[in-house]
Amino acid sequence: MRRMGRNAVISAVVIVCLIFVSACGSNGGGNSGSSDGTAGNAGEKPQGSGSAGKGGPVTIKLTFTSGEISKEQIAEFEKANPGIKIQQVDADYNKLMTMVAAGSAPDIIRIYAATELPNYVMKGLAMDLTPRFAASSVFKEDDYLPVVNLYKYDTASGKQGIGDIYGFPKDWSQDFTLFYNKQIFQKAGIPLPSSTEPMTWTELLDLAKKLTKKQGDKVSQYGLVYYNGNTALNQDLLLLQLAQEGSSIYSDDFGKADLNKPEVKNLMNYWLDAVKSDVGPNPLNQDTTFSGDLFVNGSAAMMISGYWFTGLLRGDEKAKTHLNDFGMAPAPVMEGGTRMSPTGAAAGGIIYSKTKHPDEAWKVFEWFLGGKPADDRAKSGWGLPATKSRLALLPNTTEFDKSTLAFVNNELKYADKFIGYNPYISAQAAASLFDKHFSPVYFGKSTVDEAASKITNDMNVLIQEGKDVLGLQ
Amino acid sequence: MSNQPAAVSLERHASRKRKMRKSVREAIEFYCFVSPWFIIFILLGLIPLLYGLYLSFTNFTGFNSGHLRFVGFRNYDRIFTDSDSIYALGRTFFITAVNVPLGMILGFLIAVLLNNSVKGVGIFRTIFYLPSIIPAVAVGLLWRNLLAKGNGLINELLGHLGIPAVDWLGYDHATLSLIILLMWGSGGGLIIYLAGLKSVPKELYESAEIDGASAVQRFRGITIPLMTPVLFFNLIMGIIGSLQIFVQPIMLTQGTNGLLNTPLKPNYLYLVHAFQQIFAFQRYGYGLALLWLLFVIILVFTLVVFKTSRYWVHYEVDQEGR
Repeated sequence: MRRMGRNAVISAVVIVCLIFVSACGSNGGGNSGSSDGTAGNAGEKPQGSGSAGKGGPVTIKLTFTSGEISKEQIAEFEKANPGIKIQQVDADYNKLMTMVAAGSAPDIIRIYAATELPNYVMKGLAMDLTPRFAASSVFKEDDYLPVVNLYKYDTASGKQGIGDIYGFPKDWSQDFTLFYNKQIFQKAGIPLPSSTEPMTWTELLDLAKKLTKKQGDKVSQYGLVYYNGNTALNQDLLLLQLAQEGSSIYSDDFGKADLNKPEVKNLMNYWLDAVKSDVGPNPLNQDTTFSGDLFVNGSAAMMISGYWFTGLLRGDEKAKTHLNDFGMAPAPVMEGGTRMSPTGAAAGGIIYSKTKHPDEAWKVFEWFLGGKPADDRAKSGWGLPATKSRLALLPNTTEFDKSTLAFVNNELKYADKFIGYNPYISAQAAASLFDKHFSPVYFGKSTVDEAASKITNDMNVLIQEGKDVLGLQ
Repeated sequence: MSNQPAAVSLERHASRKRKMRKSVREAIEFYCFVSPWFIIFILLGLIPLLYGLYLSFTNFTGFNSGHLRFVGFRNYDRIFTDSDSIYALGRTFFITAVNVPLGMILGFLIAVLLNNSVKGVGIFRTIFYLPSIIPAVAVGLLWRNLLAKGNGLINELLGHLGIPAVDWLGYDHATLSLIILLMWGSGGGLIIYLAGLKSVPKELYESAEIDGASAVQRFRGITIPLMTPVLFFNLIMGIIGSLQIFVQPIMLTQGTNGLLNTPLKPNYLYLVHAFQQIFAFQRYGYGLALLWLLFVIILVFTLVVFKTSRYWVHYEVDQEGR
């Protein structure tokens, strides 16, 4: 009995020691940031020398998804660069924020420049890459398409599109162009949309209503779906429409939000009308099918989506047999407004300002965003390249390829203006506010006026908080 | 002879010492055995919890841990001036008030039914327990497909019966749909109920039967009183679980924002609100204050239920410290 007791104590002590040893051991390798849980401040000096130490290869963590960077690509890079290992880390916005807060941010961060870049720069998370770009033999400024400007930010004036450069697009699309199904148009006896002249938003909604088929409450064919959610009010569409009218919900310096303006309320009513008419899936009539699938299945006449969708169509078992049934039309324009066909995303990469290995991170960055992987992406047709020279690599063999490419080459003329997103309000926060305050309007539980004033108030609180975080007045 | 008492007392002293030594040794052994769990709990449980408590008194926004400011009770004050949080708390209490009793009654009745030794009862036990092990994301998707207004399975069935489509996920029925989804998972307490039912001595039923008690009387007079400890346990767990409902309302919401989708107002629950504050609005300090308030609320509820237990929970054995 006593012997047993002693043995038990010994084993317990051994277990405890092992736990300690393993806990200590896991603190060794890796190149995660400071492990003391402090998210360093902007302007803090990176620790480490910025080059591979004597401890073998350096690991560069990046947050491009496994669908964007393949194991084969990583292996190819590592073979050519034995001193660098690439670790792909999945991180959605929440996880990334948590990693940053915990001081273990990845070296290369995937962002949507259109909505996120200014915020990352102001928070001191993005490294200024201007000197590196200037010295690079891979990136050539005269080859850039205007979308690259979304990665520029001028800290002095607070303007996006000019100033220092902080990153580079992976690929992009003019996200508000239209896809349409020729078969549905022909069956309805409606002429096909022009591939060069845009419809107005009003014409688009009228057309969508004509092409929506309902049996009682059930929609059997949608007139207009939106790749990024419901055919309903959201910040992207609202800001684009207002920008075409030369307006915005934000003041020029983004210090104030105001949705009580008549032009904003008009557009709120426009989307309310779209929802009430059931032209696409919406909060009143939820559809569990992804809008892209609805379009591919022939259950939707039109879809708001960018050129990247041609990649999906080419690869889809059902769609690829009849690609010529699909056409593209320009992004709609506000009546009397300026024609604009911007991107709503411009996914790409920035380098974490406090990376311990800036040189290695840059090497990976250059390769992935300016090297062979960029060529491969262009050839696949899953989006547009960020450089003029790579436009020639876009698919150009089938009739569908040729017609969509001709469309894109014309539409690109209108890609130089951007939607002004507020740097103090994340896209998620804006989406939350629209959902929270505008959904009740669809259900008749609130009014446009009430929603406009509630969103305005909440946004102004958020803007103030966002500025406080950055230490701005 | 005269030395005897002294010898006896010495002997007693020695045996007491032996006992002491033994109990000390036992204590040491005990702590050694629990130490792995304990150390991990302290490192990965207690310290982060207390750090969170500390952060709830600061202006932490996820990016400013280098220059945190202590803001006293400002985050806690804000809870009571933020109409959304009070509203969400009210909805959470309402859902808890409906979900816990309903879920317990349903779970208990299912357990009583499944306590028979009929052929094929095992299959039913599996079926009723299944919802508890399906991942929440799959559950959400499943129910959205069932409840969708346009192409949902339930409305399809109603259509065949000539009943007009119901907007299950809309404003007016959102909470009902959430309750249905929660009821569907009420088999979660099944295993515990079944274990409790199995432990009720058969002799009691037999003697009651001999005394002429009907089935209903046996159920009321034997099953329920003997099951009160199990009911009590499930009540506590149910309350704790219900106050923390988070993922189900979000899963019933359509959107492209993942966990940041905002449920319709009737299903905008307290934990959803806290999550949004932290991850959509970067109000870490405020979000943590919301969570600590929830902790206090759960503690109070639990203590109240514990206090009432002496009046309705029947233990076969006298409880220590009661």
